[in-house]
Amino acid sequence: MSKAPKRVAVMSPQTRLAHSRRRARGRWRVPQLHPDDAERALALYQAQRRKGVLALVLMFVLLAGLPMLFSLWPSLDSLRLLGIPVSWLMLAVLPYPVMVLIAWWQLRRAERIEAG
Amino acid sequence: MVAAFAVAPVVLVTLLIGLRGVAAMRSTSDFLVASRRISPLLNSAAVSGEYLSAASFLGVAGLVVKDGIGALWYPVGFTAGYIAMLVLVAAPMRRSGALTVPDFAEARLASPALRRIAAVVVLVIGTLYLVPQFRTAGLVLSAVSNTPYWVGVVISGTAVSITLALGGMRAATYVQAFQFFLKLLLFIVPAIWLVVHVNAAVRLDAVHPVEFTHFTRETPVDFEVDVTLELREPTGIRTAEGMATTLPPGELTMKAGRRLVFLDGAPVPGVRGGAPLGGPDWKRPLLDLEDAGYPLLGTWALLIATMLGTMGLPHVLMRFHTSPDGRAARKTAAITVALLSVFYFFPGIYGVLGRVLVPELYLSGATDTVVVALPAQVDTGLAGTTFTALLTAGAFAAFLATSLGLLLVVSGAIAHDLMPGGLRRLRITVFVAAAVMVLLALPSTRIDAGVLVTWGFTVAASTFCPLLVLGIWWPRLTAAGAISGVLAGLLSSSGAIIAALIGPGLGGWLSILVAQPAPWTVPLAFAIMVVVSLRGRPPAWSRAAMLRLHLDEEHHSTRLGHRS
Repeated sequence: MSKAPKRVAVMSPQTRLAHSRRRARGRWRVPQLHPDDAERALALYQAQRRKGVLALVLMFVLLAGLPMLFSLWPSLDSLRLLGIPVSWLMLAVLPYPVMVLIAWWQLRRAERIEAG
Repeated sequence: MVAAFAVAPVVLVTLLIGLRGVAAMRSTSDFLVASRRISPLLNSAAVSGEYLSAASFLGVAGLVVKDGIGALWYPVGFTAGYIAMLVLVAAPMRRSGALTVPDFAEARLASPALRRIAAVVVLVIGTLYLVPQFRTAGLVLSAVSNTPYWVGVVISGTAVSITLALGGMRAATYVQAFQFFLKLLLFIVPAIWLVVHVNAAVRLDAVHPVEFTHFTRETPVDFEVDVTLELREPTGIRTAEGMATTLPPGELTMKAGRRLVFLDGAPVPGVRGGAPLGGPDWKRPLLDLEDAGYPLLGTWALLIATMLGTMGLPHVLMRFHTSPDGRAARKTAAITVALLSVFYFFPGIYGVLGRVLVPELYLSGATDTVVVALPAQVDTGLAGTTFTALLTAGAFAAFLATSLGLLLVVSGAIAHDLMPGGLRRLRITVFVAAAVMVLLALPSTRIDAGVLVTWGFTVAASTFCPLLVLGIWWPRLTAAGAISGVLAGLLSSSGAIIAALIGPGLGGWLSILVAQPAPWTVPLAFAIMVVVSLRGRPPAWSRAAMLRLHLDEEHHSTRLGHRS
């Protein structure tokens, strides 16, 4: 113990229970924003919305486009890579690294907005 | 006996970790969100551990056997949901300071009525999702040992409720994170062992599917659920007395629990509602839902339901509230995409091997057990038994982790949102809710678990997804708009699926839109929320309530009107 123990209020278990209950179900209060905060929040909201839409569009292209590709080019089923049909690999393997990349890229962009 | 050795350690470790969480628990916030101190890596392991349910561990491989390679779209949709979560929901949801989804709804729109409706939706989704978990626990345990169905259901219900009532969210977090790594190990190692140990001919067969037209050996089929067989030719079978006889062509309904022995060389009957095993449709990487003949529409419908449904699953959303801040919640979603991706490389391996080695499961309707049935086909000795035990343990870990999270949100919805009380009431609610779920699961052996889980996802996609997306990104949303949209989504999605279950078959693309209604119920819910909101007027503070969700914590000048 290097530090002095933290001071705590001594109270009966019932009191503590009553306190925690009141805090958990506090009355709803009108949400207010400090004017400085409101300005920053608006800028963040708009920037996140702009960047977010692009990431979502990319993902929709992947998820809507891949089935379309399979539907338009059934020949992908008979093409083989290492003995396995290419279309199977494109469904069972390909989407995952692509989704991990989209997630990582979007995370970086979203965090950079807040760092500024 | 295998089952006891496999399941006992998983249940014991779950209980032990649960006990560790007891020490530090004092308040509702401790119980529901572990006082918001969970780091992104631990939390994403817990999210993944909770999310990889029986449906992922057993169900996807089973669906590959039943419906074909196209079933691998399920895990793609499951994973994609977390990207939508990362972009749209994770950080703002955490910054709302709410404890549950109904809490969030009230904090954003100040409507106690909406809070209660949201709590009811949580109960609906929780029940649709929890009952199949308990059901599969019972089925798997009775498939690998000779225990009756109810034993597995009661064991899982008891273990989950004790762990949760004692340790709350903190215990659930450690249990789920531990079980993620356990499941990963127990899923990947047997998969690699199977691929290495099957002979080269099976490996070649697995990637060159031929239609399963004739039995190549005398094959007994034990029907686990009611199945309607379509006999196209006279089919040779052996009766219970050992006499060979021939069934005439036509339809034959087999009740659960019956056994049929097909003779060597007998033609394989079709199964109503499944693609012919290994046939041309089976090989296609698209999912022809309901055999409607519109595989592209079927695949898209499924992707919409799974992806947007994931975003609205209350037990997953609640996990994001356990992060210390919005930034950590967002990072949690991103890491989860990576963790799930590693896991989802493997169900396809079990699926394609299952088609070659245990094709009769396709007839018996027990495709869910394909994963645990495989090792015995490859090795009849000690190794096979060991791997069956490992996979059973993994499957059990999957039920426990998912059920923990679901039971937590169901109890939270009752004892925090509908009838608010203290910690003691939460703990009692856990036991009551678990008992109700066990009672519901006991008569549900014959229900198709896939239908219930899809139903849960579709309800989530048509209710919470629009509520969260518009609540976070659209300042004009009003309480009246949110309430009418959530109700419309709940009624239309549930109504359509009930109609598909009991109504007449429609055929064509209509049957897809009834059985998998997400492509129209989600836009409908969005549209009703927008139209009703535009006809009303949002309160003056509405804009501040929305913008507050986008403000990063470090830059708060003051914390006005913020409760946590």
